[in-house]
Amino acid sequence: MGPTATRLYNEAATRPHPKDQRPHKVKLTQVKKIIANGLSEAEAIERAKGGDAECFEALYGLHKRRVYSLCLRMTGNTAEAEDLTQEAFLQLYRKIATFRGESAFSTWLHRLAVNVVLMHLRKKGLPEVSLDEALEPQHDEGPKKDIGARDNVLAGSIDRVNLERAIESLPPGYRIIFVLHDIEGYEHNEIAEMMGCSIGNSKSQLHKARMKLRDLLKLSRAEKAIRR
Amino acid sequence: MTCQEFQEVLPYIIESGGTADQEGHLRECQSCSELVRDLRYIAEQAKLLLPMHDPSPRVWAGIEQSLARGGLVSEGRTSRPGQIKTITTQTKSWTPLGWALALVAVAFFAVALINYNPHLPATQAGAQNNSAQSAQVDGDDQQLLSQVSDPDVRRAYEDNLREVNAYITDAQQAVNRDPQDAAAHEYLLDAYQQKEMLYQMATVRSLP
Repeated sequence: MGPTATRLYNEAATRPHPKDQRPHKVKLTQVKKIIANGLSEAEAIERAKGGDAECFEALYGLHKRRVYSLCLRMTGNTAEAEDLTQEAFLQLYRKIATFRGESAFSTWLHRLAVNVVLMHLRKKGLPEVSLDEALEPQHDEGPKKDIGARDNVLAGSIDRVNLERAIESLPPGYRIIFVLHDIEGYEHNEIAEMMGCSIGNSKSQLHKARMKLRDLLKLSRAEKAIRR
Repeated sequence: MTCQEFQEVLPYIIESGGTADQEGHLRECQSCSELVRDLRYIAEQAKLLLPMHDPSPRVWAGIEQSLARGGLVSEGRTSRPGQIKTITTQTKSWTPLGWALALVAVAFFAVALINYNPHLPATQAGAQNNSAQSAQVDGDDQQLLSQVSDPDVRRAYEDNLREVNAYITDAQQAVNRDPQDAAAHEYLLDAYQQKEMLYQMATVRSLP
């Protein structure tokens, strides 16, 4: 990574949760203040628009972790995530001239990456299958399952490692909605638009994903208790 | 209102809140209130998840090749994959303090690698002790933060250090519970690498 990349790489330390970067929740991040003595991200974007390869590489260095993590969490597959990360940045190179700064660059890039992943998954047919599942009654899930349950609550007992694992174990359709809403911070109306489903469907899928996660986390906790 | 009726509408009211009838049921029903508490807790924890993994250098190499093949950039216009992440241009200006902090970061990483040994015995009590230490901003972290003059930047670093320490805590506990768990070791190593990166960035940034 060249000197431009190194300066920009420093931004990563102060990047807020993606939810804070959404267009409707834009707030002044540390980024603009921090890099006053170097090349700002905005300057790097402008130069990359003009074909500056080093600035493009710097943008890659700055955003690769978040884009790759997004792809990995949505697909649950390392090889696919790498391919999709590559495709997302290739699209970025081709489309960066269309970035007008109406939203934060990271928000714009994330949306681009999400679209790349969704397009890929559509080709595989996974989301459609899972969304259809949501429209049909589920006999092994649903409200009755929890009625009368007196399990201990999860609060305070789960850690991030277990949560990451549980997310990996979710069925693809549930995982995508959960990642988009609860991790990446997209709203239901945005998810519905991206996924081509109704807002209600998105809410229903998210609820099922959280219910499934709750079961997985409780199971994991019970298994650990037995092992001790 | 019954539990079944409440849980049928729960996906649509959990974020926005329900009617007086629904809220009343939530207050009175222990089962439903525990369910809602769990679901909200999961959502809160998910917001704290960090992007933990870097893509392989293959990804950048592939991007370069594709751009070159498409004639978008000339071959070799961007740096080679092997050059990624070097900070050699900063080295000349390093002060003794910078070197000292870098050494602390390296020592910290060395400790992490020692902990990475799957054969290292660890008692539950020891694990709890480690967790308590790493979940907070410790003395080394405080020393590092004291070198960052801008209060906003310092606060941002502190938040990041707390987050990564929490990750280390969780990963360390997972390793202690099951020393053969390769994924837990990977999480732990990733977490320490993130912490090392934070130290490196803060060290470089704090230099004159």
